[in-house]
Amino acid sequence: MAGPILEIRNVSKFFGGLAANADVSFSMEEGMIMGLIGPNGAGKTTLFNCITGFYPPSRGDVLFRGQRINGLTPDRVCKLGMARTWQKVRPLAKMTVLDNVMVGALARTNSLSVAAELAMQQLRQVRMDHRADHLAGGLPIGERKRLEVARVLATQPQLLLLDEVMGGLNATESEEIIQLILDIKKRRITQMVIEHDMKAIMRISDRIVVLNSGEKLAEGLPGEIVSNKEVVTAYLGEAFE
Amino acid sequence: MVFLQSLLSGVLVGGTYALVGIGLTLIFGVMRVINFAHGDLLMIGMYLTFYLFTLSGIDPFLSIVIVIPLMFAFGAFLQRTFIHRVLNALPQNQILLTIGLGLIMSNTVMLVFTSDYKILSTSYSSGSVQLAGLSVSEPLLVSFVITAAITGALYWFLIKTDMGQAIRATAQDREAAQLMGVNVRRMGVIAFGLGAALAGTAGALISPTYYIFPQVGGAFTLKAFVVVVLGGMGSIIGATVGGVIIGAVESLSASYVSSGLKDLFVYVLFLLVLLLKPSGLLGKSRM
Amino acid sequence: MRLPLARGFALAPLLALGTGVVALVAFPLAVTNPYALHVMILLFLTVIQGESWNVLGGYTGQYSVGHAAYFGLGAYVTLMLLQFRQVPPWWGVWIAILLAVAVAIVIGSITFRLRGPYFVLASIAVAEIFRLIALNWTGFTNGAEGILLNEIPPLRIGGRTITDFVSKVPFYYAGLALAATTIAVNWGVQHSKLGYYFQAIREDQDAAHSLGISLPVYKNIALAISAFFTAWSGAFYGLYVGFIDPGTVLPVEVSVQFVLICIIGGIGTIAGPMVGALVLVPLSEALRANLLSDLLFKIGIVSEDTPTGAFLKDNLAHAHALIYGILVVLVILFMPDGVLGFAKKLFSGRRRQTPALPEVSSEKGSA
Repeated sequence: MAGPILEIRNVSKFFGGLAANADVSFSMEEGMIMGLIGPNGAGKTTLFNCITGFYPPSRGDVLFRGQRINGLTPDRVCKLGMARTWQKVRPLAKMTVLDNVMVGALARTNSLSVAAELAMQQLRQVRMDHRADHLAGGLPIGERKRLEVARVLATQPQLLLLDEVMGGLNATESEEIIQLILDIKKRRITQMVIEHDMKAIMRISDRIVVLNSGEKLAEGLPGEIVSNKEVVTAYLGEAFE
Repeated sequence: MVFLQSLLSGVLVGGTYALVGIGLTLIFGVMRVINFAHGDLLMIGMYLTFYLFTLSGIDPFLSIVIVIPLMFAFGAFLQRTFIHRVLNALPQNQILLTIGLGLIMSNTVMLVFTSDYKILSTSYSSGSVQLAGLSVSEPLLVSFVITAAITGALYWFLIKTDMGQAIRATAQDREAAQLMGVNVRRMGVIAFGLGAALAGTAGALISPTYYIFPQVGGAFTLKAFVVVVLGGMGSIIGATVGGVIIGAVESLSASYVSSGLKDLFVYVLFLLVLLLKPSGLLGKSRM
Repeated sequence: MRLPLARGFALAPLLALGTGVVALVAFPLAVTNPYALHVMILLFLTVIQGESWNVLGGYTGQYSVGHAAYFGLGAYVTLMLLQFRQVPPWWGVWIAILLAVAVAIVIGSITFRLRGPYFVLASIAVAEIFRLIALNWTGFTNGAEGILLNEIPPLRIGGRTITDFVSKVPFYYAGLALAATTIAVNWGVQHSKLGYYFQAIREDQDAAHSLGISLPVYKNIALAISAFFTAWSGAFYGLYVGFIDPGTVLPVEVSVQFVLICIIGGIGTIAGPMVGALVLVPLSEALRANLLSDLLFKIGIVSEDTPTGAFLKDNLAHAHALIYGILVVLVILFMPDGVLGFAKKLFSGRRRQTPALPEVSSEKGSA
């Protein structure tokens, strides 16, 4: 079964008269890491919301393994095998860390014991198993981000959308996340990553899409993106020299 | 003719609903707290007016001069003692707190003044004037004129004065207002005070035409929500328009269907608005 | 009141539970005082109400202030079938429950699109609509006159009369069984996928949605379970008291009582509604029986002969709604997690002095 795992065809999203996404198209191959970059307000998170069912696109189509999924609700999208994290972490604060991840695992099983086992596996993967009994609301930010990734992995996605999972982290914590993303890649899970840290995104991405004012400005290999004049003037100039 | 007649009296009653609604929306706008005790504040205004009238013979329409400052002080007290402690709590806890305060108010009044219905009858309680062939209840007309004057004064206060602008700034963006040096806590006290004063005034204005009893507030609380949701939460113009619409709907369904079912129409309208246009008829929701 | 303290000993709470059940089952054999039975029945009713609301409000976080709709529906349908159509209540109650669940799903499908305060307001409006219908559809419901039950036919199984419903004892056992059932249902919810999904919805609807949880489906399941037992409690109330009218089973005060039981005990826990019932019922009974004013006289704060004393004696009996109000305010301000959460905090604070992880609010967490 060749063909792209995700295909975005001319997706536009309007809020009132404003276009948050305008005619964005690209596709992703199985197993790759796609970096999604652009200045604040470029429409990256809106695109995530359009892909995962939180907003219906105003125009255009989203295809997952060739199946048109725009119009599906987020829970259906998740069941199909696509899952996302949130830029502003959303821990289920009054539940334990283990329970948080179990909620994700329960997307694939009805058994609590199976879910608990799956959840512990994921927690070990992000090295949070020692926190299993803590309330999620009391975790420091670095662990919240990792919990978010563990929880979403527990839904057993084939395609993972990570929205600034390194935001607000220090260098060591960011490095841990980078390793985690590369580990996930080894498990043949396709990933789309929104990130502001240019060095990190250049290092992990197989391809990069640049959004600017809602439109796709460029797409290519990391090396092509850094040398793309338009991108550099529009955006990268200040952040990455 | 029946149509115009009931539309007119509906609009006149709606003026009072607008007053209650404006108070509720002001409190919500500034603090994002839904005051479930709002009708009980109105009830206290009614009792104040009733006793001012029976004990010292002060005309109910004149009594607002006393009711407004008293209710403002009471509202400010409620804000300082209770409401400000839950500003960052879960919305459901805020709701329960105000429900609790409402229970305390209505049941204290019941203990002190019993649950008997009281009637405030003035010389003009059942008087009416002819206006372009329509008969208009005198107390309703007077209360509508006063309502309009108070609403106008409130608009002026909110738009023209520094304090009014500070209140509106707080309603628009609490954090930004705070950064710009607005004392948001004080604005909360003022907003609750104003809200209570408006509810109390509404109570004073309707006391010549309504039964006065401790549980009268509940119906007005609900009606105030309907008014506010109809006009869009936090919008003062919306609450004004919403009040008039609700008054008209009530009055029309009372004369064309049944007076027992007029509230039913109001609640159905409320649900429809919530579901079809949750931001209210005048749009622009902040939630 | 049993706090979940002895987590280490699995045997101790089990033994306590067993003893408690035996004591409750044996109670009417030992105590024949009708008033004592009456208070116990009220306790059961309150537990049933609280545990029913808890499924929707406590676990799922959907604060319905309109449960009077399902309570009233259960009471009205059961009593109307019995009084007007001679349908025995043990059949009628099922019709009432099914109807309430069907209505709940219709209402839920409409109102669950709303969030936060808007949902609360919609739930109140729905209950008010039911009250107004019951009040105004005089030919169907008897309107404001209400329904006075003549008698409940004796329950016979295979020619043997099980009970004739003359004493309070059958109501005692029915209430006990129903309370036990709702507690078991809460336990079942908490220890199943449903409980996890309900709590995820309570904590963060968008996150729950993105983790594969269908919000309308699971909110409606919670409401259906809740309405099922709420309607049952309404039928139980109507049959026990023998009289219902729109002012006793459908007003906003009844809806508030449902919330109150849980918020006082502690929301989203199995023991919470039980604790709430143990606080509320004795309190309102003490007020009704004038125990509180007697106590004040005995302590000597107020003398019975002064005007204040006479006033208190006359009026405190009607003050239970006032006390409810004061309780709510105190609980929200000083123990927002209910009596249970408050006690837990006190206890754990004393037991171990190790500092917990700093509580970081989710708003301030991300950069």
